[in-house]
Amino acid sequence: MSAVLQLKNVHKAFAGVPALAGVDAALMDNSYVSLLGPSGSGKTTLLRVIAGFEQPDGGEILFAGRRIDGVPPHERGIGFVFQNFALFPHLSVAQNIAFGLENRAVAPVTDAKAVTARVRDMIGLVGLTGLEDRAVTQISGGQKQRVALARTLVTEPSMVLLDEPLGALDANLRTRMRGELRTIRERCGVTFLHVTGSETEALAMGDTVLVLDRGRIAQATDAGTLYSRPASADVARFLNCYNIFSGAVSGNVFESPVGRLALGGVRQASGRPAYAIRYDRVAIRPRDAAAAGDEVRIEASFVASEYSGAAINSFFTLDDGRVFEVETHLSHAAPEAFEEKARYALVWKREDALVFV
Amino acid sequence: MTMAATSHDTPVETAAPSTRRQPDRTYWLLAPGVLWMLLFLVAPILMMVYVSFWTQTTFKIEPTLTLKSWITFFSSDTYLGALWTTVRIWLIVLVSTLLVGYPAALFVGLFVKNKTLSTALLVLCVIPFWTSFLIRVLAWRPMLGKEGAINMILMKLGIVTQPIEVLLFSELSVIIGMTQIYCVFMVGPIAFMLGRIDPSVIEAAQDLGASFWRIFRTIILPLSMPGVVVGAIFVSVMVLGEFATSAALSGRKVNLLGNIIVTQVGSLKWAFAAVAGVVLTILMGAVVAALLRVVDLRKEL
Amino acid sequence: MNASGIKLGLGLYTTLFIVFLYGPLVVLAILSFQTGPEGGPQFPIIEWSTYWYKHLFGLTPPSRIAPLPIEQALVRSLALAVMTMIVSTVLGVTAAQAFRKKFRGSGVVFYLIVLGMMVPGVLVGLGMALVANTLGVDRHWWGTAFVLHVVYTFPFAFLVMLAIFNRFDPSVEEAAWSLGVTPARTFRKITFPLIFPGVLSAMLFAFTLSYDEFSRTLFASGRDLTLPLAIYGTFSVEVHPNVFAFGVLTTLFSFALLGTYAVLMGLSVRRAKRMAIQEEA
Repeated sequence: MSAVLQLKNVHKAFAGVPALAGVDAALMDNSYVSLLGPSGSGKTTLLRVIAGFEQPDGGEILFAGRRIDGVPPHERGIGFVFQNFALFPHLSVAQNIAFGLENRAVAPVTDAKAVTARVRDMIGLVGLTGLEDRAVTQISGGQKQRVALARTLVTEPSMVLLDEPLGALDANLRTRMRGELRTIRERCGVTFLHVTGSETEALAMGDTVLVLDRGRIAQATDAGTLYSRPASADVARFLNCYNIFSGAVSGNVFESPVGRLALGGVRQASGRPAYAIRYDRVAIRPRDAAAAGDEVRIEASFVASEYSGAAINSFFTLDDGRVFEVETHLSHAAPEAFEEKARYALVWKREDALVFV
Repeated sequence: MTMAATSHDTPVETAAPSTRRQPDRTYWLLAPGVLWMLLFLVAPILMMVYVSFWTQTTFKIEPTLTLKSWITFFSSDTYLGALWTTVRIWLIVLVSTLLVGYPAALFVGLFVKNKTLSTALLVLCVIPFWTSFLIRVLAWRPMLGKEGAINMILMKLGIVTQPIEVLLFSELSVIIGMTQIYCVFMVGPIAFMLGRIDPSVIEAAQDLGASFWRIFRTIILPLSMPGVVVGAIFVSVMVLGEFATSAALSGRKVNLLGNIIVTQVGSLKWAFAAVAGVVLTILMGAVVAALLRVVDLRKEL
Repeated sequence: MNASGIKLGLGLYTTLFIVFLYGPLVVLAILSFQTGPEGGPQFPIIEWSTYWYKHLFGLTPPSRIAPLPIEQALVRSLALAVMTMIVSTVLGVTAAQAFRKKFRGSGVVFYLIVLGMMVPGVLVGLGMALVANTLGVDRHWWGTAFVLHVVYTFPFAFLVMLAIFNRFDPSVEEAAWSLGVTPARTFRKITFPLIFPGVLSAMLFAFTLSYDEFSRTLFASGRDLTLPLAIYGTFSVEVHPNVFAFGVLTTLFSFALLGTYAVLMGLSVRRAKRMAIQEEA
């Protein structure tokens, strides 16, 4: 496999405010790439720069080995699926899908039969059969999503950019579309670059996940690695499954606001010292239970619990007032009833913690 | 891992990036319109200024620069009288359109809660614009004339025994005509601004026991000021450039700067017409600038 | 505070205000049915008749009252209005399209365009007459007057289109580009069909403003009269009810135009609404 898209030190500022501050990345051919970032991280800007809707202030963009920064969007051959779908409201479903084939500047398909056949195949692929002649204002959100995708895929781009494609759908549909997007991509063999603000979506969908933070790629790796080994405290924070303490390492302990935490695991260089422990690595014990030798123990008062499917999340207040979250999988044990405002011991293995130095 | 940090020395086929095409396209799109305005709007106005300094002989003008036309203008009672009449009529019409239009705007913009009804009322105000302007002016003749509708009604009601002659072919008829024709330009912007007032603000003031007059003075009037200024700009620009209404309804008794220009052009006194035109331009520029001073429109709209 | 009393008072006032706006037109319409040729433009109505309407079309026996020179003038006015409508709409759409991007000097260009509707007709008309005289160009309704009509109506078309583009979602254009369609073709196939209702409004504005324009035309059109100039010519002479009859007819013509526009707009709006309803269902 080779890189289909390469970004080298891409810069972009709006009215002096930097949106992209030197983005470097390479996207492999025929893969599903998620681009995760909090709002304001510049992820939509990056997508629009790749598509050619915005010009970068500096840096290089290489697509299929060719430099494309400065090339107008319609000469790039990169598909784009908008968050609001941006369907052509005056055209029917079939006309929307046929539009690119018939009107593109390079190799337009003029034979009406060929167009019809390819549109029919594509409508079948995305599961819209029977809706060909509907107006796009007459179909549901999920169907609009499919039209947007079909309209792009039928032109056979080698890469498709998806800007929060599931953002406008309701929760049920979002889950279903995740699977469908992956299936459709595999069948077409194109690279998807899927922008999202949701860490679960990014982790679920991407073969590779890029994490964008303040205009830079903070980490680029597969979902498993990202989840267990975030490259910095900030990345860990976006993943929304780590309790993070700031502080400093001194010898074999981490000096945190809630006390000295003994160190045991790996240390990663990240520029800013921090200590992170994943929600589901923490055990809740009665206050009088002692910690084993390889364990770290802190105390906190219980606030509330919240069910989320197969897991239960419990919230505690630490001595410095911050909230500490623990995720207990219900397959491990029946849910325990904790007493509000009572003190409990929160315990985890030293080596489970991530230490950034 | 499918991801690799990119090295900056990868050899690439470099396509000459044709950057920054967009601004060029913007200028091409603008060029025809801008050119049109420069050639057919700015150039004629500049020409008018230039010609006002030409030498006027009986039937033609010569491009010898002189201040003679200007001196003639400012030493002639007729021209100065026209300038004064223009200013006077403008001020009176401005005030009368405001007085006549404001209550109607208040009703449409603030008191009519039903959106359809207020739209219908505004449409009703605009419909007369679909009749020729000149016809609307002319329509005042059978209204105001000695044997016109108003005199007829007044006499039938026994309010007057003799027809009122001053109604037509007087300054009054010009003012009445202009007020009717232009007051809609006052009503529209004011009603628009009043429509944006949050009704709960007024209700809150009512609950606190404020009288209507007090609410009007402290809330409604200040918030409608931008509308008044926009309306005043519309009315001023149109009234200052007027000549048709006075030509139709004053029987040559009211001569505005516009009428002076028309007569001077009619008798081929181009330089005098140009002087009157420049004076009118300056007057109008001053009025609009002054009105824009009163309210910062960009801030308000 | 007596809110309902004030509301009642203002309501009554507004009724009077509407009467004030319409009264003269109603009187004019009534008097257009005055008998002719001896009946004058005043009350009382001696006898109801359609004499003056026939008079307009030259269907009455010749009398001392000369018929209005409307036939030629009507053709000229319509031709002028159509020419103006086309040119100013094209200019308005292109200029508004340019304004979708921020560019340096946009403020100056904006005011330059808007100036066209602010400067009184008598001033530009005079200026244009002077320019034409100096250059030795003959003044014609299809030349000097036409360019001034565009100067006047182009700003209206521009402002209408500016408002339309403000509400236009640019992502549909970007979507078309990303499918490999050139900007020019995108404009033709996507943008234009979507802004068409706005274009229709701009055209309506330009047409009616030009059709009714006379202060610019007065100095710039030379010998041949347009319709408003023909009416303006009657100002200095005795007015006969034939002018009133003519006023009624032009008003009806305007309403027919407005009706056509309303039907065209209604069709597209209803289509959109029908779709919206089905979507909700």
